[in-house]
Amino acid sequence: MNKKPVANARLTALKMLAGVLDCRQNLAESEQENTLADARDRAFARHLAFGVLRWLNALEWLAGGLLKKPLRKKDRDIERLILIGLFQLWKSDSAAHAAVNENAESARKVGKPWAVPVINAVLRRFQRERTEWIARLDSKDERYAHPFWLLDAFKADWPEDWQSIAAANNEPGALWLRLNQQFDQEETSKGLAAAGFHVQPHAVIPGAVNVSPAAGVGDLPGFASGRLSVQDPAAQLAAGLLELAPGQRVLDACAAPGGKTGHILESEPGVALTAVELNQARMERVKENLSRLGLAGTAQLQLITGDSSAPDTWWDGNPFDRILLDAPCSATGVIRRHPEIKWLRNPSQVADAAARQVRLLTSLWPLLTPGGILLYATCSVLQVENSRQIQRFLANHPDAESLEFPATWGRKQDPGQQILPGEQDLDGFYYARLRKNP
Amino acid sequence: MAKLEILEIPDVRLRTIARPVEAFDADLVQLVADMTETMYGAAGIGLAATQVNVHRRLLVLDVSESQDQPRVYINPEIISAEGSETCEEGCLSVPGIYAEVSRAEKVRVSAQNPDGSSFEEDLDGMHAICLQHEIDHLDGKLFVDYLSPLKRRMVTKKLEKQRKISGQKPARAVL
Repeated sequence: MNKKPVANARLTALKMLAGVLDCRQNLAESEQENTLADARDRAFARHLAFGVLRWLNALEWLAGGLLKKPLRKKDRDIERLILIGLFQLWKSDSAAHAAVNENAESARKVGKPWAVPVINAVLRRFQRERTEWIARLDSKDERYAHPFWLLDAFKADWPEDWQSIAAANNEPGALWLRLNQQFDQEETSKGLAAAGFHVQPHAVIPGAVNVSPAAGVGDLPGFASGRLSVQDPAAQLAAGLLELAPGQRVLDACAAPGGKTGHILESEPGVALTAVELNQARMERVKENLSRLGLAGTAQLQLITGDSSAPDTWWDGNPFDRILLDAPCSATGVIRRHPEIKWLRNPSQVADAAARQVRLLTSLWPLLTPGGILLYATCSVLQVENSRQIQRFLANHPDAESLEFPATWGRKQDPGQQILPGEQDLDGFYYARLRKNP
Repeated sequence: MAKLEILEIPDVRLRTIARPVEAFDADLVQLVADMTETMYGAAGIGLAATQVNVHRRLLVLDVSESQDQPRVYINPEIISAEGSETCEEGCLSVPGIYAEVSRAEKVRVSAQNPDGSSFEEDLDGMHAICLQHEIDHLDGKLFVDYLSPLKRRMVTKKLEKQRKISGQKPARAVL
């Protein structure tokens, strides 16, 4: 099997959108942009596809109002060209003339010349009546650009903050790096600065630096040699919260892609780490990451492709002093980096994720040694996966105690600590520390 | 390693039904390596043995963005499937033709590794689509078989035109 080669950024963006909206693919899985040889074209295709996915239902509402009559289902490509054009005119600083013409002309390239005047008419009308349409949109729930079920879930969980969560989800996240503490971090920063990047440490999270302008990893000096990794500072909290010490037996229960796995070994190379990952292909990513960081040969490191919710299939019976359960979740805390999540998720998937988290928690708890700590983490903002999940776990496990932790980030929950997306420029994250009492 | 020749329609050999792999030996390992190289060399994301004129049940695929996660399925069988999705497909044996095909959205597959060990896997997204496309090859089927008669006539015409340009015989045998 092969895929159609495309060499035009706008048509590539169209393919990326079809991949997400028709084939339910993550944008990260999309190989479409690789069909473009020029890095600027690739960046532009991403800009268009991410922009449309960020504002999808708001753009759809505008398009619905501006179209004389609705398009047929088989003309989804034409509708998406309209969405791309509206995004460019409304949210992006593209030249208006180019946005109108190029989107209209693209109809010819997809073999639908009849649609050139349709696209032209809609986009020109938006240019003329922009103020009026934006004012009308402002009275609609579509202005938040989230599916309504998710907006309702935010409202229920965060009655004071749901609007700022929605707004933060629609702002692209900056590029954050984790500087490997096995190297001189000063030197690493200097290398980045020498390559023309502006380097800014995070206000409260040590080792995390913001780099601008954003770039691909290939352009970051020190990436290939393992001096740094791309990771949001919120995710960089995990290793510290584990309170690692040499000789501890540590389990990383859902390891892929290996960001936190690498961080554990960078911060305490003397632990005996077991990293488990269910998916064979994703385990390869863990290995790649560890090799790049020069950690693949760490003594007492064990990589196991297996199911953490069925430990009897892989566990050797020796209890762990620390368990990191970075649980599969709705990923509703990282929408700013993955806007397609809004349209790929549905309420039943959230329920499935919550059920999976229960299975993982209950099957991993017996593996923890008395006095040991399990760190539970999600990149979700939904309480059913976070504080409510842990409340229920504590109620069912009298030997589990939730540890308080003084944090200069996030907000205290009962139990645990929640970061809402955008706060201190962090991804949305939840952490709970559970100690097993003898 | 060697790049293999990929059969193209209207070659009737693409209609052969492949037999199970029985010998898990060095030849098989070599064939997998050659097929993987051939797939990458042709910018494909999947390749079935049928397409390189080996009529045994095995396929390789790599749907990763970075094109560095090759997977091998020997004697693959879909043991359950659910949902439906429509995605544009193309095929190294049907050059230049791309069309939307509906397939199961999620599948569970059982297969063997080159060492003969068995595994089962749940697939979705492009991975599931590609696997179904390649298993079809092992059964002598092509993605264009799923198109409506009208669409197939258009495809036949396009192929005839392409072959006229390249000075080959018109394609009629399989479509």
